[in-house]
Parts: sequence; structure tokens; C-alpha cells
Amino acid sequence: MSSYKIYIPPTTLSTLKSRLENAVFPDELDDSGWAYGAPLADIKRLVARWRDGFDWRHEEQKLNAELPQFTRDIEVDGFGTLNIHYVHKKSEGGLGIPLLFVHGWPGSFLESRKIILLLTAGSGDARLPVFDVVALSLPGFGFSEGPNKTGFSFTQYAEVSHKLMLALGYTEYVTQGGDWGASITKEIARRYGGEHSKAWHINLILAGSPETQDPSSYTAFEAIEKDGLARFQEYKRSGNGYYRIQATKPQTLGYSLADSPVGLLAWIYEKLVIWTDAYPWTDDEVLTWVSIYWFSRAGPAASLRIYYEVEHAGQEVGSTNFHIPTIPLGFSHFPKELGRIPKAWYHLIGNVVFEVEHDSGGHFAAHEKPELLVGDLQKMFGKSGPAFGVVLGRNGYDG
Amino acid sequence: MSDSFKIAVSSTALSALKSRIESATFPDELDDAGWAYGVPLADMKRLVARWRDGFDWRQEEQKLNNELPQFTRDIEVDGFGSLNVHYVYKKSDTGAGIPLLFVHGWPGSFLESRKIIPLLTKGSGDSQCPVFDVVAISLPGFGFSEAPKKKGFSLSQYVEVSHKLMIALGYTEYVTQGGDFGSRVTAEIARRYGGTHSKAWHTNVLFSLPPENDDPSIYTASEKEGLARWQEFQRSGSGYFQLHSTKPQTLGYSLADSPVGLLAWIYEKLVSWSDNYPWTDDEVLTWVSIYWFSRAGPAASIRFYYEVAHSGQALGTKSSPPTIPMGCSLFPKELIRIPKSWYPGVGDVVFEAEHDKGGHFAAHEQPELLVGDLRKMFGKGGPVYGVVTGRDGYN
Repeated sequence: MSSYKIYIPPTTLSTLKSRLENAVFPDELDDSGWAYGAPLADIKRLVARWRDGFDWRHEEQKLNAELPQFTRDIEVDGFGTLNIHYVHKKSEGGLGIPLLFVHGWPGSFLESRKIILLLTAGSGDARLPVFDVVALSLPGFGFSEGPNKTGFSFTQYAEVSHKLMLALGYTEYVTQGGDWGASITKEIARRYGGEHSKAWHINLILAGSPETQDPSSYTAFEAIEKDGLARFQEYKRSGNGYYRIQATKPQTLGYSLADSPVGLLAWIYEKLVIWTDAYPWTDDEVLTWVSIYWFSRAGPAASLRIYYEVEHAGQEVGSTNFHIPTIPLGFSHFPKELGRIPKAWYHLIGNVVFEVEHDSGGHFAAHEKPELLVGDLQKMFGKSGPAFGVVLGRNGYDG
Repeated sequence: MSDSFKIAVSSTALSALKSRIESATFPDELDDAGWAYGVPLADMKRLVARWRDGFDWRQEEQKLNNELPQFTRDIEVDGFGSLNVHYVYKKSDTGAGIPLLFVHGWPGSFLESRKIIPLLTKGSGDSQCPVFDVVAISLPGFGFSEAPKKKGFSLSQYVEVSHKLMIALGYTEYVTQGGDFGSRVTAEIARRYGGTHSKAWHTNVLFSLPPENDDPSIYTASEKEGLARWQEFQRSGSGYFQLHSTKPQTLGYSLADSPVGLLAWIYEKLVSWSDNYPWTDDEVLTWVSIYWFSRAGPAASIRFYYEVAHSGQALGTKSSPPTIPMGCSLFPKELIRIPKSWYPGVGDVVFEAEHDKGGHFAAHEQPELLVGDLRKMFGKGGPVYGVVTGRDGYN
């Protein structure tokens, strides 16, 4: 294990600046708004800021100051050793519940930034549990190495995550995940649940394949459930072009994202805006987020491959799953998530013991609504919660 | 009125491109990925190196200008104002050439007419074979045509501009040939202007919905195989289509800013959609350069997918077929092949030829075969001989 500080070399920074200075923009149809994708005015403004005002060094320093980071080599069956980057912050007082936070795409370890203080410091309220938080960069993301071979899918992402927790001395732990993190933590729950993973919490609740369900049964669902299914259908109709290309030709797309920071910015920014609930992104916030991808160890093209691998392992989002995990599961529902499934299908995911409805927030819950998400975790794992004391000897309270 | 046109990419544009390519950044690649994840890295590096160092655009440009007489003219499109449209126009060497409008698709261009134009206009020296006057339009947003500035420029508008071009050239009656999106445009031309103006249409890609009483048990082995290929295309080869149809602007930033990205995006289709066509690097680079140097920029070329999807004209929408005679040429590596029992939904098929080689870019891959089919279809003894009044293709 090594202590890690993000440090992007000056040559890399000046190369980026030079590329931005030579940026070539497309035109745009009159009054197209967001209908055709990210608007030109937004991208031009962001690129100008990235080129001239955005101070990566400053952001880098803040990240290093806030997030204690490390790297360590983890062996993955069939894939050799991967050097994994992760954030690890222990609770300030009490026996922190070990919590593994798993991001997705276009997320990163950065999504743990706001919740980590709340989870580890607690609120000063002795009734609330505290956590030890581990937020890994999935292989191929952030500052983790990417695999060199084909076939690195849920099994492998789960394996590397689990082995990281064990390596940190956490034989028992709990997990939180959104986007791919929801599927990966589900795989963790399936493979290591009971013995190691003791409970799991997710904010992206999708399972089964709506098309295979008898549509006539939909009339029995409540309004909120129908709306969730409709949102997911709409996402599949008009919002999953990125998914289809990433799941089938990630390398072809990868040439664009590796060569054009403007292209990468647009590709990610579009999701940051349309998947959130009117979140007031600042330009620097967006640029920091996208810079993680541009400066990532494996390069932006590597981050797309998870879609291909999952598709070809027959594990795409929403596909029917076998062997449902039995450990306690918690849900947080945010209204602007990409979709959700009805209660009647919950058993397809797991053993739901905790559920909260929110009236604001979207896909990037940890970033948009850190207090709400943390509040949910504190309830689920706190003294009167359904998952209190699941981790032996570490219940989040003193003694 | 028309203006004579010669492609003349500015030296600033050429040096800007060279400079961009020189600073190209490549992704890595998984071991033994082959073509499974998209274009292989070795292909890209080789092509980019050639584009940077050896490829001579000026020379290619000159060849194109020598081979293809080009023009531009303003065409008014209802609700969109005047668009300056670029096109190739070559009259037959002898005789009353049958006016033929050739319509490309994506990632094609007027360039796809390059090999068939000499064959169609010269004939074969055999007086039995008809000759054609060929018009190969650059669809708005492609090649050196202007692009629309407003939303909603969909199938109807592509049809209108193509038809008006033929009328402006003095061809009150004409025939059409189209593949890819050109097939949709020419089918719609046949529907709207069929009989009065468009007299017959030929395509190399057939699509329709199955008929009401469709009976899959009568499909031949080759028809089943064709449908399976179509399904596989939808499962693993249509990501670009889904993206173009929903977020073309988001992708457009990449295609406009990265020649490497644009090259990969197009090259992948050139290879995977053709039938082992022996692309030379310069051939690929000329093709992609048309997109890079296009008047409207590469991002404009993908908008029609969005427009068609949002104007109730998505592929598979029910519509009545055109009634004028049609012909089709079937190439084995085309993306889709429908069973014969579905043909009535496409149109009135009076000519059909099946080949054992060739793919999606038929005019480029198998020009002699395609032209051979057009000569048979329109020639003396053919099913639509003399369909254009006073211009039967013979002296």
C-alpha cells in the first residue's frame, strides 16, 4: 500500500491547454436547446473556462487535502495484479462501520467527496452511527490501472472491491452504490454476502426486464411506480444512445474521447445535467469532474469498456438475475433517477429491509443530495435501524 | 442558376488538419481485441500516420475535380429558405441519356458516384446498352452543400430539394438510384412525385414491415439468414444509429474537434459494412476527408437521423408503398435483407438481381454489377425501358 497524492505533471497540463486553444466547434441548429444534446453555448463557455480560468492545481490540492488517498496492488483471477487507487477515511470517533462506496459512469471516487465528511465525522449527535469509508476508483477509472485483457466484468469488479476491503482489515463491511456501483455491489452481495458483505444500499433500483413482464399487470401499480417504469422506458427510447455505443463499439468511440477534451467534456457534461435534478453545477465543478476522466491513469476510453463487458457477459442493466442475494438491502429513491421498478419486483434485486422516498435529487445522489443520502445510511445502520450492528464489533458507536 | 464548382480546400484548412493530426492522442487497446470492440488501434495508427505524412489531399482533390463535373445552385426549400446545393452532373456521351438521380446516405457522399458515373454515361460501347445522364447530389449537410439552420429538416425536405434539383436541371421526368438513407429518400420521392416526375426507382437496400398475414414458415434459408443478420445488426451494430437519432449534437463535438475520432467513426463502417472490400488507406482518407472538409462540418451530417426519428418517419413506420416500378439489387453483405413476401410493402418490384458478392456501399464496391443491373432494368428488353419520355438511353 502506498499513500497517494494526485499530481498531474505540468507537461500534461500544458498539452491540455494547447488542445483547448485549438478547439474546433460544430455549429448548432437554431433554438435546439438541449434536444439534440449539450448546447453549444454551454460547451463554448466551459471550454473557455477550462482553457483560461480553471485552476487544476488548486482543485488538485483541495482534493488531496480533503481525501486521504492510497494505492495498492490487488490480484484479480485471470487478470494479474492491478494497482488500485482509493480514498480511505476512518471515522473520527467510535467504531466506524466499514462502508465501501462504489461509483459508476461517468462518476468516480470524486462522488464520495461530500458524503465522506458526513459519514466519518458524524453529526455530533451521539445517536447517529459513524462509518469508515472506502471509495475505490474502479479499474479503468480515476487513478486505478485498467485491465489489459478482455472479459473484465461484474465478477472481477466485485472481486477487486472485496479484496480491497479485506486488505484494509475489514473482514466484514457494508456497501453503497449507484449507477454501475449498484450492480457491482449486488455482485458483491451475491458472492460475498453473509460472510463478508453484511448489508448493502443502492440508489439505482432497476431489475428484471420490463419488456418481459406482462404489461397488463402495470395497471395495478401505484402512480409513482408507473412513473418510474415510464421514465425508464423513455430513457431506453431517447436517452440510452451512449449506452448502446459503449456496449458495442467502445473502442471506436474511445478514439474521440481520448483525442478531444472538448468531445469528452460534452459527452460527460450532457449526463451531469440531464441526469440530475436541476443541480446547480458550477463550471469548475464540471471541469474538475471531467478532468478526472481526461487525466485518468487508463485514459477515458478505458472507462467505457465496462458496458461492453457487461453486455457480453449477459449481465446488462435490467437483465434477469439469478441467485438473489439475501443480506439486508436498503433503497433510497430519488425522483430524477433514470427509472425505478415497482415494489412487486423488489424480490428480483434482494431482501429489502429499508426504503426511503425523497422528493428531490437525481442519479448522482451522493453529489446532489449528500445530507439526504447520508441521513438514509445513518437511519438504516443506526441504533433503531434494520441493519444496526450487522458488522461484528463495529456498530458505528463508541464501545 | 448553377455555378460551376471545383473542390478547393484552403491551405489554412489543410495545415490546421495536419497540425491536429500531429498532436493526436490515442487510447490504449485490450489484448487480442481484434475488431470486437471497434476499430483496432493498429489500423488507426497506420491511417493517421498516412494522413499526417503521405496522403496528398491536393492530388485527390484534383483527381475528383477532373473526373466529376461539379456545380452548386440555390434551391428553395419550404420553411427553410434557400440552400446552396452541391452536386455532380454528367451527361451521357451520346444519345438521350436517361436522367438518373443518385442519392447517397451516411457515411457516404457524392464520392460514391465516382465509379459508376463513367460506366453509366459512356455506356459499354455496345449499342444495346442504354446510357444515362447522372446527377449525384450532396444532400444538405453533406459534402459541399449547405446545411439547414433550422430544426425539422427531415425526409420530406431531402425529397423536396432532390426533386427540385432535377426539375431545375430540366428533367421533368427522371429515375433514381439510392442506398442507405438514399434509399429512404428515393422511396419517398417515388411516393410523392411518382408517375408525374419520378418514373421508376432502383435501390440496393429494401426495407418494409412484414405483411399482415406473414407466414415465417415459408421463408427460405437465405431469407432467414438475412433476417438474422438484421437482428444481429440491431443488437450489436446499431449503437451509432441510436446515438445519432437521439444526441447528435453531443457526439458532434467529438467529430468536429477530432479528425482521429471522425476517422474511426466512419472507417469502422467502411470496413464492417462492405464485403471484404480492399480499401486502400488513401481511399479511406479521401472518403473521410470529404467529411472533415465538408461545408457544414461533420456534426451536421448526422442530424437527419434525429429529424427522421422525430418526424414520425422512423424506419418501420407504416406507410403506403410507392406505385411506380422499382428495381432492386441484392448484395450479400447488405445490412438488411427482407423476405420476398414482404416486397409488396416496399413497392412494385419489376426487377430484381441477386449477387454473390458486395455489401452496403454497392456503387463503390461493385460498380460494374450495379451498373449492369441498371442497364438491364432500363435497357431495351428491360421491364422499364422507355419509362422517361423522349429519353430512352439510346440515340
